[in-house]
Amino acid sequence: MSSIITVDNLVKIYNPDIRAVDGISFAVDKGEIFGFLGPNGAGKSTAIKVLTTLLKKTSGDVKVKGFDLESDAREIRRIIGYASQEVGVDTDLTGMENIYLQCRFHHIPKDKARIKATELVKMVGLTDAANRRAGTYSGGMKRRLDLATALVSDPEILFLDEPTTGLDPQSRRAIWDYIRELNNKGTTIFLTTQYMEEADQLAHRLCIIDNGKIVAEGEPAKLKAQIGADLIKFRVIGDEDPGVLKNAIDVVSSIVGVKDVRDCSKGGADCVEGVALYSENGSNLVPLIVRALDSAHLEIVNLTLSKPSLDDVFIKFTGKQLRTESVKMPAKVGYRTRRR
Amino acid sequence: MMKLEFPMEISGIFARWVRKLVRRPTNLTFSMIQPLIWFLLFTQAFQAVANIPFFKQYTGTDSYLTFFSAAVIVQTVLSSALQSGLGMVDDVESGYLDKMRVTPVRRASILMGKVFSDGFRIVLQVGIIIILGYVLGVNIATGLPGIGLILVLAMFFGIAWSGISTFVALATKNSESTLVISIMFVFPMLFLSTAVMPKQLLAPWVQTFASYNPVSYVADAVRSLIISGYDWTLIGQAFLMIFVVGVITLSATTAMFRRALAK
Ligand SMILES: Nc1ncnc2c1ncn2[C@@H]1O[C@H](COP(=O)(O)OP(=O)(O)O)[C@@H](O)[C@H]1O
Ligand SMILES: [Mg+2]
Repeated sequence: MSSIITVDNLVKIYNPDIRAVDGISFAVDKGEIFGFLGPNGAGKSTAIKVLTTLLKKTSGDVKVKGFDLESDAREIRRIIGYASQEVGVDTDLTGMENIYLQCRFHHIPKDKARIKATELVKMVGLTDAANRRAGTYSGGMKRRLDLATALVSDPEILFLDEPTTGLDPQSRRAIWDYIRELNNKGTTIFLTTQYMEEADQLAHRLCIIDNGKIVAEGEPAKLKAQIGADLIKFRVIGDEDPGVLKNAIDVVSSIVGVKDVRDCSKGGADCVEGVALYSENGSNLVPLIVRALDSAHLEIVNLTLSKPSLDDVFIKFTGKQLRTESVKMPAKVGYRTRRR
Repeated sequence: MMKLEFPMEISGIFARWVRKLVRRPTNLTFSMIQPLIWFLLFTQAFQAVANIPFFKQYTGTDSYLTFFSAAVIVQTVLSSALQSGLGMVDDVESGYLDKMRVTPVRRASILMGKVFSDGFRIVLQVGIIIILGYVLGVNIATGLPGIGLILVLAMFFGIAWSGISTFVALATKNSESTLVISIMFVFPMLFLSTAVMPKQLLAPWVQTFASYNPVSYVADAVRSLIISGYDWTLIGQAFLMIFVVGVITLSATTAMFRRALAK
């Protein structure tokens, strides 16, 4: 795969001394969905604004399809689409007019622009609302309209800054579908998000960014594996006895999908007593664990399952709590064993 | 192709602003309320001003209404121009400006489309005032061609004066500040000009200020077209003044626009 965006040691300092982007390097491959995952204030929007020629970089080397950000800005603007976090639609104009006007900005002739606008309105499911003022749209509709306006020029690279923040789950899923559809047609997508789930669902590769720095980079599956998959903790009756504990550890270790089984009494970041283990799919594994221990005549007194959350990611990679308020809470699922 | 792109961009942006104006008629009436009140109230309440000695000799008319209509036209232009920056603040705040800036659209088109639409709005508003004046009984000596010339003067003066508001808007990026600061360029400039009173009746220091005030020149030209006829010296001076003001405000605005974008 060849890179379509290369960023080398990019720095953006706002006046007087806010290092919003503090020396990041990465490359985006042609045809992939590349994600930037980070909390509010991490520097995601700043980075995306530099890449889309909206902000001047302080230093660093950036090439977008081989073009220089400053000397070839117009060339870059011809091949990119951008949907901003603020959702830049004109609320006095109708959906159709918004798209049509964007076509004019890209010098698309009148008749083609009309066809294009009709097509895009349909694609984002706004045909019925196309001739209503965008001011009357819901948040989700505005986002979809904004996405449509970013697509008028059939961009090679689409930049989406937090495309689903603040949306209900249904609208979010709709936007995810469009993003996948576009990517299937060959559009390279650069996406920022605060949501672990979104990055997980969409991004082929992602960077975790905090305080203007990239703290981790890679495929979501690999990152997640590092971040820690589901955490399962349990205790069995009599596990104060090292023999019983060892037996329990041996039993669960033999289950396929179980990783990193530990004796908590020997210390660890996430437990103090009993047994802890990681698994990528904890919910499916819990019954197997229960059954296996049961067959070994070990009686469970307590079992908990925690899903990895963005908090876990950040604790792992930054050593501190995530500062956002709007991330999903870790789902703690408690299981109680039934006595026979 | 390149040559066609530029007008296409400007007309697109111009059309956008005109559409927004039509969709929000308050934007059209907002800056007209005060001139309308003046027109109706002052000309009814202060008719007696025309009775002061030498009024006719100084002004060429014995109707305060006719004399004052020029002031109301100029006032309309000034108040209308002060609202020009507001749309720009909206675009910065809503992210629409960025939306335009990531497209290949030229920076100049964004500004020119807006400026032309300001000119269009001002012509519309002055047109309404002139119609109202006709209804109230103002007689325009130069007839329809004169009205056309008044509208042209109003448009160019409006565009030039709009530069102040757009400059402040880009500098502050805040609608309240834009209105508060621009409003200082309406009433003081109006009262310290020959728009409201014949020059000879102004205090000496005001006379001095008024003779440097561009508003005086536009008011004098408009008034001569209403009261007496084509005074090409006055009209020429007015256009010269508008040109000077326009060069200053629009180049300052362009510079501020570039600065606001080059973050
Ligand atoms: N125009 C600006 N001027 C000064 N500081 C800014 C500006 N925009 C953003 N910042 C600061 O830069 C940092 C990164 O912001 P941003 O890129 O918006 O983060 P994110 O998009 O990840 O939430 C934050 O500390 C923010 O307060
Ligand atoms: Mg942001």
